[in-house]
Amino acid sequence: MSVEVEVDESDLAEMVEQVWESYLDPEGVSPLIPTYDENQASEVHSSVSITGSWSGHVVYASSTAAARRAAAAFLAMELEEVSEEDISDTLGELANIVGGNVKAMLPPGAQLSLPQVVLAPESTARYPNAARISGVYGLWEGEPVSISMWQISSETKEDGA
Amino acid sequence: MTPMRAMVIDDSRAMRMILKRIVTKLNFEAVEAGDGKEALDLLADMTEVPDLALIDWNMPNMNGLEFVTKVRADPRLREMTLVMVTTESEQSQIVRALAAGAHEYVIKPFTEGAMIEKLALLGLVPTGANS
Amino acid sequence: MTLSQAEFTFVSNLVRKEASIVLAPGKEYLVEARLIPVARAVGAPNVNDFIADLQKRPNPQHQRKIIDALTTNETSWFRDREPFSALIDVVLPDLIKARQAVRKLRFWSAASSSGQEAYSLAITLQENLPAGWTYEIMGTDISTEMIARAEKAEYSQVEVNRGLPATQLVQYFERAGAHWRIIPALRKNVSFKHMSLTAPFPPMQPFDVIFLRNVLIYFDVATKRQVLQNAAKILRPDGWLFLGAAETTIGIDDNYERVAAGRTSAYRIRNAVPAGAARRG
Repeated sequence: MSVEVEVDESDLAEMVEQVWESYLDPEGVSPLIPTYDENQASEVHSSVSITGSWSGHVVYASSTAAARRAAAAFLAMELEEVSEEDISDTLGELANIVGGNVKAMLPPGAQLSLPQVVLAPESTARYPNAARISGVYGLWEGEPVSISMWQISSETKEDGA
Repeated sequence: MTPMRAMVIDDSRAMRMILKRIVTKLNFEAVEAGDGKEALDLLADMTEVPDLALIDWNMPNMNGLEFVTKVRADPRLREMTLVMVTTESEQSQIVRALAAGAHEYVIKPFTEGAMIEKLALLGLVPTGANS
Repeated sequence: MTLSQAEFTFVSNLVRKEASIVLAPGKEYLVEARLIPVARAVGAPNVNDFIADLQKRPNPQHQRKIIDALTTNETSWFRDREPFSALIDVVLPDLIKARQAVRKLRFWSAASSSGQEAYSLAITLQENLPAGWTYEIMGTDISTEMIARAEKAEYSQVEVNRGLPATQLVQYFERAGAHWRIIPALRKNVSFKHMSLTAPFPPMQPFDVIFLRNVLIYFDVATKRQVLQNAAKILRPDGWLFLGAAETTIGIDDNYERVAAGRTSAYRIRNAVPAGAARRG
């Protein structure tokens, strides 16, 4: 049985805005400007997997420059001070926060994995049997950032329910 | 006056840094732990129990809910104020955490102002600290 | 930045006029980020064309979408806390004595914006009135957008984090997708109406308590006086008026006297003899 996803693009956009307001842009001066460009480039990505009532991934992807800026904002550091570990921890927590909020909107019984951070672009090859079903794409101070949801196709996820 | 002390329990170092920054600003001394087990071990060695614990839910070794349950069962830790800080935001999860003995619940993402207001509700910072 | 200064000014004037909300300078990018999805949704090629079109031909539906996108309200629940404590500790015990015969209270939340104050009052009354009592809360606002939002009673995750105890979140709200919605049992006691405080007041049943907070500060002295005089006519003689912490009737309207209420102050009509309390004349 496949469960209809109850999270649409506007829900995702609202979560993104809340993450910006909370951590990346508390002053409300440098929001994510939507581009609707699904094919925009990314250099790093971070994802959490959801299993159970819905199966798939929530992915935060961006350029390295945007990731560094996110870490600086999140950790209240200067850009030059940001280490690779800072970037990795920040991207992991960002994926965790968005993924956790997505999970809360799914039917009960969904489980969230620990975040996986890869300092390489997101790609379909990385998520076998999963297809992108929605996403928010934008530029943050000129640098690409996206948050997308990937659903694992139901044929491969037959759980006999 | 001895400063208030807060324990920040989250497996994400980035989130611990954010929480630590906020409570430090509010004049708490902060202690960090990466999961519930580590937090309990630290507490066992402390002569003075912290006033406040900010607790993530999903953590390895011991999750936040278990930690809350264990703390509530220990008379020595009775005075500690427990605040869940988590992405778990289903209504049933919040009810579970409160039933287990958490005093407050902050859903991630949260703004610094929202966190301060929650701590004000608990009487841990003066009301109006963020107005 | 694709939004020109003139376009930003047009949009902020619109929002100030229709929703009484001031977009602070420096928020140009935020305005742009929020308008891009609106422009896209109505099929405009970009934000500039969308605004240019609106400047040429006013379109109420598009204006509404703009205001909706730009006016997320960050009001806290139980804002300032003290007035709500004063209700519980001082005002309700007084009114419960005085209204034994009718067992019903009426509250007015003036300039109710997105409704947090009106619903905070509802939660307070729900928890503190004796069994068998009922209450009505009326919220009014100059913005029909805000009225619509308050009636919808849906708040984002970030909004429900603001000053709302978790026990009350789970008791008085239900999840509605990404949002939280006030439960019907509370909503049924709260209504919202469009009203300008500076115009003559429409006929209204009198209120036991008026919350008129953080709105007088925007008016000149003559307007403040007029609003306070109009409010006095619909406040029951033994009722209570709450103003914002930075506001007072003193030196503006001497028909009120300031009285201590818990750790804050409230205002009552001078010389009225309240039931259940001996007062000096």
